[in-house]
Amino acid sequence: MIEARDLVVRYGAATALDGVSVSVRAGEMVALIGANGAGKTTLVNTVCGILRPAAGELRTSGRLALVPEGRHLFGPLTVDDNLRLGAWRDRKNRDTGHIYQLLPELVPLRKQVAGRLSGGQQQMVALGRALMGRPDVLVIDEMSLGLAPRVVENLAGHLRQRHAEGLAVLLIEQNARLALDLCSRAYVLEAGRVVAEGPSAELAGSTEVATAYLGLES
Amino acid sequence: MGELAQYLVTGVGLGCAYALTGSGLVVIYRVTRVVNFAQGSFAVLGALTVTTLLAAGLPHGVAEGLGVLLAGLVGVLVGVVATGKPGTTPQAGLIVTLGLGVFAYAVEIFFWGDQPRSFPGLPGAVGGIQTHYLLIIGVTAVVLGATALLFARTDLGRALTATAADPYAARAVGIDVVRMGLFAFAVGGALGGLAGVLITPVQQVSFDSDVALVVSGFSAAILGNLTRPGLTLVGGLLLGVVQALVGGYLSTAYQSEVALIFMLVVLIARAGRRDLVEAA
Amino acid sequence: MKWAYAVAAVGALVLPVVLAPGQLTVFILLGLSAMAVVGLSLLMGYAGQVSLGQAAFTALGAYTSGLLSLHHAPPLLALVAAPVAAALAAVVVGVPILRLRGHQLAFATLALQILLLSVLSGAQWAGGAVGLQGLPYLSVGGFELDQDLDYAYLVVGGVLLVSLIAHRLVHSRVGRGLRALATGEMAAEASGVPVGAYRLLVFAVSAAFAGLAGGIYCFFLGYLAPGSFPVLLSIEYVVMAVVGGLGSIAGALLGAALITVVVQLLTSLATQPGMPSYAPSVLSYAVYALLLIAVVLFVPKGIVPTLRRSL
Repeated sequence: MIEARDLVVRYGAATALDGVSVSVRAGEMVALIGANGAGKTTLVNTVCGILRPAAGELRTSGRLALVPEGRHLFGPLTVDDNLRLGAWRDRKNRDTGHIYQLLPELVPLRKQVAGRLSGGQQQMVALGRALMGRPDVLVIDEMSLGLAPRVVENLAGHLRQRHAEGLAVLLIEQNARLALDLCSRAYVLEAGRVVAEGPSAELAGSTEVATAYLGLES
Repeated sequence: MGELAQYLVTGVGLGCAYALTGSGLVVIYRVTRVVNFAQGSFAVLGALTVTTLLAAGLPHGVAEGLGVLLAGLVGVLVGVVATGKPGTTPQAGLIVTLGLGVFAYAVEIFFWGDQPRSFPGLPGAVGGIQTHYLLIIGVTAVVLGATALLFARTDLGRALTATAADPYAARAVGIDVVRMGLFAFAVGGALGGLAGVLITPVQQVSFDSDVALVVSGFSAAILGNLTRPGLTLVGGLLLGVVQALVGGYLSTAYQSEVALIFMLVVLIARAGRRDLVEAA
Repeated sequence: MKWAYAVAAVGALVLPVVLAPGQLTVFILLGLSAMAVVGLSLLMGYAGQVSLGQAAFTALGAYTSGLLSLHHAPPLLALVAAPVAAALAAVVVGVPILRLRGHQLAFATLALQILLLSVLSGAQWAGGAVGLQGLPYLSVGGFELDQDLDYAYLVVGGVLLVSLIAHRLVHSRVGRGLRALATGEMAAEASGVPVGAYRLLVFAVSAAFAGLAGGIYCFFLGYLAPGSFPVLLSIEYVVMAVVGGLGSIAGALLGAALITVVVQLLTSLATQPGMPSYAPSVLSYAVYALLLIAVVLFVPKGIVPTLRRSL
């Protein structure tokens, strides 16, 4: 689905990604964890084709959709219009009905203006908008940021279900505990490099990762 | 019909032209953040083209339609130059459109000379009111209504609004932001062209009429801070009516100043309010 | 860059003597534009403001000198009053309109100029649309400046004066504050730079330069009309300032010289026998437009700052 090898991305003289290799296979749910400024969002923007790598190889297959950091809903439009635009590339499949079945929380909000919703509701709309394109792989940037634990748990539940139906996910999270809990495999990004990778259980068990990103004392 | 009614209808007719010009500015500004200084040139180019097409024997309606179409195409060209180069800021875009407005002078004088021109509109009068004013009002109502529907009811309109609201997210869902900008320029150009085509039978047009038009359009649009189509219509009509009343009861010499003073008052009042908000 | 200044200085001193009469007029008008453009470039480059009404201050200066000298004020006093009146007017309108930014200020300054022109056209005391005629020559202590050559050197002196004032302003504490103001307003404000006062100061100084140019213009031509200061003149100033490089004094001078010379060359080409009557205006509009667009898109800093960087 996503196969990135030795990606290098620079902003002017600053190197944001310095030889990063990440892969997400079909149906897999993979986490990317790391502190602020580690290069996570740069990697997301590169994978989604918004940034161009200076070096390295990037191959993606299947349909890819992005839930951007900070939701980035279209504030003046209604929830339903936001969802419709999620299928902008696919003129024939702009019917929003299936999203309301997947995310029934959105049904009462459909005529509301997206800009006036709560953070949790907005994240749900952003998820719905990304699912509108019937993606094969979903990239979610900072899903839990600024949301109440109960809201996060709800979103995570939806994500698990979609994953169970075969959707591949690349989950970018500062909340490493949540990420490792949801995903089978994870990468740890630090200063533009992958410093650790492997099955979630293994990473969660490693003292290094645990102290640096899980806030646990060894 | 009384004098007052006549002035009102004339004013609403003029106001429609301002509202159309202003709506063009709004459509372009909302999507691209560029204040298109060449907005008045669309009107002039459209109107001058119609004079030529009518002289060539094309029937009314067809000639006017082609004039508007040409203005829309010119809009796309303006958009390409003003926003096509990656990294062009909206400020740079404003200066570029200023340059394009001057370039239009060269083109217009080359093809049509520097004397004012006009062409006949809808003949006749109803109750002392030139029928053409009623045509202006009717066409404007239909076109602005259709534009509102485009934005509110079609996915293309939603995509335009989405691009204006959040270009990053628009790109993330696959909307081609540059193409949306060019489409906005096309709509803006056509609206400007329509204003020129409608107003020319009652008000001659020459190559440098663009400044007065863009200033009036901007004055209309500034009421809604260049982003609100409804307030732009209100602003345009208000401006047209006040102008007609000033022209009718005071002196025609003060007519064109109305828009300028209106604009300055709105701008300064708005800035004053913004300062208050910032200080609070 | 030193040699460039030397060439310019020698050129400014020698050219008036060697130029043919018609060319001398162009030289004088070039210098007058340069004065207004130095001011505008300062305003746009150092205060980050776009003005489409700079020619209004030229008009104010010209009408001030013209009206005073018609009412028998000493010509020198009438000339000195021109920049003063323009600066005062700038302070009066600057207080409300300098709170505007970007396109808003651009349209506001444009509106003010159109208003001024229509007031002048309608005012009996200003000669209406016909304007002021039969204005006296400038005279200083019995010496009357009645030759084009006199005005050429007067203009050279004027350009030197405004350039020196602009240079002092740019390299003063005020100038440093202004640079901060153009780049990061909030930071400047936080560090105690009186943003509003400085912006008003540049606006007034910039207006004074244009006003002085207008004053000299009035004595040089001997007549004035609202039509001498069209909106297009303001746009011309913007083209010159942008092409030369905003915020650069040398850029303003080069921009004014370059545009004037190019337009003049094209005009003389376009007035050759056999050329259509519309050729001069078509060519000059096209040149203004294309130069402006090309520079904004491809040399966004303007010619002089770009050359400086690459040297």
